[in-house]
Amino acid sequence: MSRWQRLVRKAGWALFTILFVVILNFFLFRILPGDPARQGVRDPRLTPETVEAIRVRFGLDKPVINCIQTFSPLEFGDCGVNPLEAQFFIYVANLLRGDLGMSFYYNRPVGDILGERLWNTVLLIGAGQILAIFAGALFGLGAAWKARTSIDYSALIAGLVAWSVPTFWLGIILLFWGSNNGFPIGGKETPGMSSYPFMMRMNDFLHHLFLPTVTYTIVFMGEYLLIMRSSLLDVFAEDYILTAKAKGLNTFQILKDHALKNGMLPLVTIIAINLGYTVAGVIQIESVFSWPGLGGALYEAVTRRDFPMLQGGFLLIAVSVIAANFIADLTYAYLDPRVQVE
Amino acid sequence: MKRKILYLLLICAFAVAACGGGGGAPAIVRIGWGQGPDTLNIGAAWLASAYTIAELTYSSMYELNLDGTITPDLMTEVSTSDDGLVYTYTIREGVKFHDGEPLTASDVAFTYNLVMSHEDFPTLHSYTEYFASVEAPDDKTVVITLTESIPNIESKLIFLYILPEHIWKAHEGEDAATFENLEMIGSGPFKMLEYKPNEFIRLGANPDYYGGAAKVDEVIFQIFSTSDVMVQALKSGQVDMITGVPNTSVETLKQDKNIKVVSGAPLAPDLADIIFNVTDPENCPVDEGGLCTGHPALRDKIVRQALAHATDKQKIIDVILLGLGDPGIALIPSGLGEWFNSSIKDYEFDVEKANQMLEEAGYLDTDGDGVRELPDGSRPLTFRMNWPSSDTTAPRMAEILAETWGQIGVTLEMQAVESDALTAQCCPTLDFDIILWGWVADPDPNTLLIIPTTDQIPTGYNETGYSNPRYDELFAAQGVELDHQKRVEMVWEMQAIIHEDAPYIIPYYAYAIQAYRTDRFTGWLDNQPKVSLEDPSSLLAGEPVK
Amino acid sequence: MTAIAEIKPTAGSSPLLAFWRVLRKNRMAAVGLGMLTVIVLLAVFAPALAPYDPYSSEGLGVADVYQPPDSAHWFGTDDAGKDIFSSFMYGARVSLTVGFFASFISIIIGGLIGLTAGFYGGRTETILMRFTDLMLVIPDLPLIVVIVALTKPSLLNIIFVIGIFGWTTTARIVRSQTLAVKSRKFVLRARGLGAGNAYIIRRHILPLVMPILVVNAVLVVSSAILNESTLSFIGLGDPAAISWGQMLNFAFSRGAMSSGAWWALATPGFGIVWVVLALTLLGQGLEQALNPRLDTHHLMPGRPVIHEEAGAKPIQTDVALEVRNLSIDYIAEGKPPARAVQNVSFTLRQGELMGLVGESGCGKTTLMLSLLRLLPAAGQIVNGSVCYKGKDMTAMSEDELSALRWKIISIVFQGAMNALNPVRTVGDQIAEAIRRHEPNFPREKMTGRVVELLDMVGISADRRGHFPHQYSGGMRQRAMIAMALACNPDVIVADEPTTALDVMIQAQILQLLDNLRKRLGLSVIFVTHDLGVVADLCDKALVMYGGVIAEYADVDTIYNASRHPYTQELLKAFPDLSKPRKKLTSIPGHPPRLDNLPKGCRFAPRCPLVFERCLTEQPALRDLGDDHIVGCHLAENPT
Repeated sequence: MSRWQRLVRKAGWALFTILFVVILNFFLFRILPGDPARQGVRDPRLTPETVEAIRVRFGLDKPVINCIQTFSPLEFGDCGVNPLEAQFFIYVANLLRGDLGMSFYYNRPVGDILGERLWNTVLLIGAGQILAIFAGALFGLGAAWKARTSIDYSALIAGLVAWSVPTFWLGIILLFWGSNNGFPIGGKETPGMSSYPFMMRMNDFLHHLFLPTVTYTIVFMGEYLLIMRSSLLDVFAEDYILTAKAKGLNTFQILKDHALKNGMLPLVTIIAINLGYTVAGVIQIESVFSWPGLGGALYEAVTRRDFPMLQGGFLLIAVSVIAANFIADLTYAYLDPRVQVE
Repeated sequence: MKRKILYLLLICAFAVAACGGGGGAPAIVRIGWGQGPDTLNIGAAWLASAYTIAELTYSSMYELNLDGTITPDLMTEVSTSDDGLVYTYTIREGVKFHDGEPLTASDVAFTYNLVMSHEDFPTLHSYTEYFASVEAPDDKTVVITLTESIPNIESKLIFLYILPEHIWKAHEGEDAATFENLEMIGSGPFKMLEYKPNEFIRLGANPDYYGGAAKVDEVIFQIFSTSDVMVQALKSGQVDMITGVPNTSVETLKQDKNIKVVSGAPLAPDLADIIFNVTDPENCPVDEGGLCTGHPALRDKIVRQALAHATDKQKIIDVILLGLGDPGIALIPSGLGEWFNSSIKDYEFDVEKANQMLEEAGYLDTDGDGVRELPDGSRPLTFRMNWPSSDTTAPRMAEILAETWGQIGVTLEMQAVESDALTAQCCPTLDFDIILWGWVADPDPNTLLIIPTTDQIPTGYNETGYSNPRYDELFAAQGVELDHQKRVEMVWEMQAIIHEDAPYIIPYYAYAIQAYRTDRFTGWLDNQPKVSLEDPSSLLAGEPVK
Repeated sequence: MTAIAEIKPTAGSSPLLAFWRVLRKNRMAAVGLGMLTVIVLLAVFAPALAPYDPYSSEGLGVADVYQPPDSAHWFGTDDAGKDIFSSFMYGARVSLTVGFFASFISIIIGGLIGLTAGFYGGRTETILMRFTDLMLVIPDLPLIVVIVALTKPSLLNIIFVIGIFGWTTTARIVRSQTLAVKSRKFVLRARGLGAGNAYIIRRHILPLVMPILVVNAVLVVSSAILNESTLSFIGLGDPAAISWGQMLNFAFSRGAMSSGAWWALATPGFGIVWVVLALTLLGQGLEQALNPRLDTHHLMPGRPVIHEEAGAKPIQTDVALEVRNLSIDYIAEGKPPARAVQNVSFTLRQGELMGLVGESGCGKTTLMLSLLRLLPAAGQIVNGSVCYKGKDMTAMSEDELSALRWKIISIVFQGAMNALNPVRTVGDQIAEAIRRHEPNFPREKMTGRVVELLDMVGISADRRGHFPHQYSGGMRQRAMIAMALACNPDVIVADEPTTALDVMIQAQILQLLDNLRKRLGLSVIFVTHDLGVVADLCDKALVMYGGVIAEYADVDTIYNASRHPYTQELLKAFPDLSKPRKKLTSIPGHPPRLDNLPKGCRFAPRCPLVFERCLTEQPALRDLGDDHIVGCHLAENPT
């Protein structure tokens, strides 16, 4: 198969996956119980007429798809309705225009809210992932290089413990520590600094970013360390390392030119797959540190029955994961020439 | 180059540290709270926190004070027609919006009409329920015509904040509920400076406020996703005041000499209730999907009273609230002042008496398994008990109930249910035995008193399915009784009826608990009957420590 | 995730027994199991062990809340004044129950999908694995949160939801293992004999998939436990069941941190870490046992050289390589050293081609690697010297030595597929050697040099940018030779360069080596077990057996006047085209294990001419003149 065919095939598969998520997204939130027009609120001020008016505002009075009014409980509606007026069609049509709908809760376009939140999360994940990859790869390398020594065993134990610690618990512990050591413990900036010079705001932001990032880094570093160690141990036992040594290369050159690239291969795959799991970790970290990111937004959306937010958020995550996998495939192909021919 | 940046960062770090000490810096009050507003558009708002911000940025005809009284705010005079249907208000002159435009009667009429015409304003719309029309014949006169003569129009006008017509005119149509209103131009003591959803809100003092400008320069509300973190932030001085304190943290905070803890009745009545399904089959709202599967024993007043006797309210208050609450009596909490019937004597905690009542009524444990059966022996007294899964205190309460109720031969099948699912199960389906839930309500007793009326069974607000003609009659009568004292008497009688018939057990009236740092600001209104340090009156009174 | 090695069917042994064996051998797994057992015992006997009933709040008051650890409450009390130690034990029950049952569901679903996909293949596989990929894309925890939040948060529900979203990795692993097992000979044979699918799966596939499934199960349990605790922590747990996550939720939402009640936060978190760590250790240990990894790798520091006797002085300085009394041990802790090479001496002259002959396991490769001190970490030179032009390489520092490696001695490794780095181009790997040893080599001439080298071994210039996997087997071996020539070495060691190649290619490679030697005046050590090749190419031959020299002589002597029975037996085993009809024999038995050498002559157990002295006394090396050396008692009597 040629490189292009492979690429086209992969891209096709990615598109299909996105389509699947789009459809799943829509129906999942309509099958599950809960009335978005009530948002779990019990308030005597909320009259049945108001609930109805809100349903109309969000288009929830329309059939889900032609003939089916709502999924909970299954109710058959008017089959004479124009299918183009059904919620599903409107949802898909809006999506194609890039419109993720209005948040039930915030009364604002979902795209805007996710956009604001996304950057905060991307920063957190980005900083955390980069640190975790560096630290994990570095410690993994050290452990593999000094295999069966006390350095190796301590790295191994540290990696296993980091991997076993629940994210939220680690967050709480660090929060507890941080609050007694002068670290800001909530949000992403000190409010009211918008008129301060850029460098001061930057400094303030980095202070806020510190604890969540450390939590994130530790949680993911453990896994990367273990993977890197095990993959490097395999690589180090390969014959081409012996060749390199016989060629007179010193250990540093061997690590740099022969071991690292090969040893990184499994890590690349894991990092891409991890992006999906990352979201789980980020929800916990963001809720512990009041970080205004995507994870927190998703969690709030769950508790508030904010379906457009959930749909948008899930779509965003799924697209990111698919994109990450796609990029990982490309990176893998770049790193490992063997992949190109199947 | 790299090194340079590092130095810059270091310098900045020191600079920030220096600023934290505060010298001639503006007086900024930082308030930690648990939840931000869902929107700055008060029409579209669901949350109490949106109202908190609106209180600070807007004015309305009346204001609710921390002692529970209602006093004029924008209005200066009122006259009522003889039939009680037409109210003519004169409003304060010279009031200006934050953008400098004058606030006139036409803004008031515009706002009321806007809210009236928007059924999709989830909470605000209900305040205009009895409004027939609103007009502004001149710049300082507003005429409100009602559909019924009601005694409590002031309590409705409190929350109808006056919006600037010159801004909202463009949004009075369909997009009134989706208008983001980020500028939030109002006429209140504070104006909106900066809003970062789910992070913080920054308000600045309005120097032209007609009630006198605030003594602080800025108020910042910072959102914390957990109350424990918020408390920690107060202890470490990252905030100056917090609007909610977990009861478990009170003792620790009290030991901090720079922190003062304030507790008392909440501004908005906050009620916890143990709901019994007492629906009579003939009242079952079948058309609304009513199933009415309540346990037959709970329809027996004796059983409910026995359960009330077997409920250790003090224990519940001690464990859940750490003592920071009062035992509950009936639907009207003690914080509502004169409306609260203080003459009712509650069921004393007496397991023996409860046992004796059940014994006498024929609920015997015939099979000796420790659980009583119905007098005809057909069903054991095993009740389903549910509560909304978001409630973290309910499981603790359920444990305590299960223990003491177990001593009178009642067992519980306990399960938390997601709140929407619980709503579906509750009302008007009435497919449950016992629910642990609660209400947050308005200062006017009406919103709570309406709940157990027969008319509200089909609408789903009457969660117990309770029906009592005498109660219904009293509710209708008090709603149009313009004589205040008579109305109070009727409200007292209604509470006595509910207490006697016990469709509910009200375990407690919880205190609101707030705390602030005494080393930064002083003068907050912390000695009022109701606790709300973030209320405009309190924020206007506070000033920096010299 | 590492590739899973094929597992030998453990016929007749129960899985329990196999499990026990793994535990005894693997410390990690044992520690993990021990940690797990402690928690399981605490959980099972919680009602008996717990000092208080965590489901009862009888007699508790305000004063009991958040009391620090003391003698009455070992781990303090929680937000309702309850004993945390008791709740901890009951919490273990919930966590373990959820972990066990949820992972049970995951394993069943994942196992079935993986097995079906792997076994039936084709469209079924495509559809099932695509579905698995789809499930991997959707982040599971948020989905679990949504579903649990919007349905009833009962324990059963949580188990079910965690279970049905945790199967993807299992499906993938089981599929690849099934695929691997499916094409194994005994499965094909069973199928050929007409066995049905059900029978094959039950008898042949499942037993081989099971061990991996068990390893995977352990990890699935731990992630289920983590998921449960996360759910409970964000308030979606079953409120009627105390779990660790829930204890944390109560502590965190009810002010434990600000009250300084660290014990309420630390204890349940510690429980989660403990169990997950135990399971991870157990899983890692089991995985290691299933998929054992070499204990050493090429980057471990070598052992220092020891000179038992005073450094033997080089005798000749005009030869390419002189090896004197070289002895090498393999050191393993707690075992006597394995004497891999003992007292080997030989001389390699300029332009000479020496064959190093012997069966596998006779120390040929060890000897060859020791020349450049490339021994694995366990290998140690315990005596002797390796001299290049009068300089003893065993006495050099690592830096001095590495400057000489490839420059004076280069190696053509056995199996060039693995000896070349798969992710770098062949040309690049050749150039690397030049850059290392000639840092000043002009960059613009590098390509020309690489092309020239490739040309020497008959590879066209345009293939220099290709990767090793794009070459055929013979080409790779030639590329390896080109690489060995890169720095104009004096000596090339060719380690069985033609194994795994077909006969035609073998001949080409040998011819190439011989031509190059003649053209460039190289000295070559040719490691092989094929005396025929030696006969065709070599000037001299060194026959090794059991780590010692059996016989060393020029090729003619070896062929026509060999004195060692081992050489004679080897000669019998190789087809001599000049003497047709001769019966081919192979030597019965195997070379001795190096850690368990016979007391006398190492060849004695297999020697057709063995006599009494051979069993007790090790024969000394005897120089018969003309560089003919023999290590055999028989050689004492000249014939």
